[in-house]
Amino acid sequence: MQNDNLKFKIRKILILFLILPLLFFFKTKKIFSQQISLSISPPLIETVIKPGKSILIAYTIINYADPAILTAKVLPFEPKNNFGQIKIKEEFEGPIRFSLDNSNLQLGQSFFLKTNDREQLLLRIRVPEGAKEGDYYYTLLVESQPQTSQTEKTASFAKATIGANILITVTDSGKIEIKPKIVLFEVLPRFRFSFLGRKINFFDSTDPVPLILIVENRGKNLIKPQGQIVLKGNFGEKAKFEIVPQNILSQSQRLIQASPSAEIDCFPSSKLKACQSPVSLIISGFFVGFYRLSTAIIFGENSPQVSAATSFFAFPIKIFFGLILALIIILFLLKRLKEE
Amino acid sequence: MIKKIQLRLPSFTIVIYLLFTLSLIFKSIKPILAINMESPLFKIQYAEIGIAGGNKSSTNYHLSDTVGQTAAGQFNSTGYIVKAGFQYLHSIIPFRFSISNTNINFGTLIPNSPQTATTTLTVSFGAAGQYQVTAIEEGRLRTLDETNEIADTNCDGGANTCNESLAKLWTSNTAYGFGYNMSGQDIPSDFINENYFRPFPNRKENETPAIVMSSSNVGKNRQAVMTFKVNISPIQPAGKYQTIINFVATPSF
Repeated sequence: MQNDNLKFKIRKILILFLILPLLFFFKTKKIFSQQISLSISPPLIETVIKPGKSILIAYTIINYADPAILTAKVLPFEPKNNFGQIKIKEEFEGPIRFSLDNSNLQLGQSFFLKTNDREQLLLRIRVPEGAKEGDYYYTLLVESQPQTSQTEKTASFAKATIGANILITVTDSGKIEIKPKIVLFEVLPRFRFSFLGRKINFFDSTDPVPLILIVENRGKNLIKPQGQIVLKGNFGEKAKFEIVPQNILSQSQRLIQASPSAEIDCFPSSKLKACQSPVSLIISGFFVGFYRLSTAIIFGENSPQVSAATSFFAFPIKIFFGLILALIIILFLLKRLKEE
Repeated sequence: MIKKIQLRLPSFTIVIYLLFTLSLIFKSIKPILAINMESPLFKIQYAEIGIAGGNKSSTNYHLSDTVGQTAAGQFNSTGYIVKAGFQYLHSIIPFRFSISNTNINFGTLIPNSPQTATTTLTVSFGAAGQYQVTAIEEGRLRTLDETNEIADTNCDGGANTCNESLAKLWTSNTAYGFGYNMSGQDIPSDFINENYFRPFPNRKENETPAIVMSSSNVGKNRQAVMTFKVNISPIQPAGKYQTIINFVATPSF
């Protein structure tokens, strides 16, 4: 009897030993991969400044993911294309001087940011006396340090860098050179053909009408367009679209956007012209007849106005051919009916 | 009687046909609406400009949203004008960039057996604003002693030879190298499906970073998945191959 009791106790202990480790499996936390999530504010600074002056900008960097070691630096950039994309240069250049006013931090010096922690970077921008008048474009970059020694396997490690652009106009007098030109104001039609020496842009009535407006800045300072694109129909219909005041950097072109623009679902193999490259505006509706599009743009007070116009013709070609087809079918059926 | 019906039938058909046509036209006509100052893409609001660091004013700097007479006055007295954020947006919106997995582990590589791994890139920029995300490798996948390396992919080769700015098909198990595919939002249009790859530009060869995400109209949490792929030949020396991919996210200007 005592032996049985002892055996029972041993069994109980053994079962407990087996069950206890299992409990650890339920208690364990999920292991997430190393993540990085950074934010920077403000994302853009524009300044007009005299030589010999300096300004201080407070940037806030927030780390929303795993603790990270970060480094801040400033590099110049230039516009990459006319879509507002930039190309950051590898080396620093230009007369503008950047430094941090933080007591414990300098540019190029690493700092640690815990999860949900933030750091304020006090960026001092100084324009030395005698700096040449003109525009200078830079990006404040905050980059993470990749943790490369975490694995014994083949791997690639992601390094995240987040940037905020700084547009600096150096001028002694405060005068800004405004030399704009509209280089393209055109619709992207379904068909384009010549008639009596005129180019006709043709759309089906149900087609969205994509419009491209590219403005060139031939001056030495950035400019900001203000104005409207106006659509007028042959029955007196009229619609206005506001031009988005995006900066056009000196000696560059930019595709100007207007609002409100229709949205199109673009999938990778879409053959819609509005999907193949960025456009300024997409106008949707049912168009019949002749339409005229015009724009007038200014660039601040007392600036020259530039204007352009284009037109297109729309006809319900899909409906028309649909009806012709339906008519042919009906006539065919009637003929068969007659024969019977 | 039959003849009469036969005569009436075409005219009746024409009437039905015309009615059908008219109904189609009226059904498909959409009015051209008057302009709104708001859209899902942009909010036109010239006057509201926030301030760096969340302060309304400071002894160190002034902020202004115009370059008219007031700004000229400010410029003459202070020697500078500063504007923060995008004038056409509602306020200053932080620009945020996330990478879901910074350690892209391929495990043990087996010849002629492609290995893939993914990471998700996310950009948040409030309701609007242009941005771009670029990627560049800091060198090829190579062993720590830098004696061996895995070349960047050419994809399947021939007509399907890809490069740093053009994705092509990479499905052959005997096409070797290291490359990436993009899927999701705001990706380059040459990534037609999950079999289209590009090699990374290489900083050591002075190549320009490739734009892997970009948009002129950004909502919250624009996401794209980057799939890394590596395939080695049977003569690839054994070893631990590593590289760093630098992602740079910047808003537009």
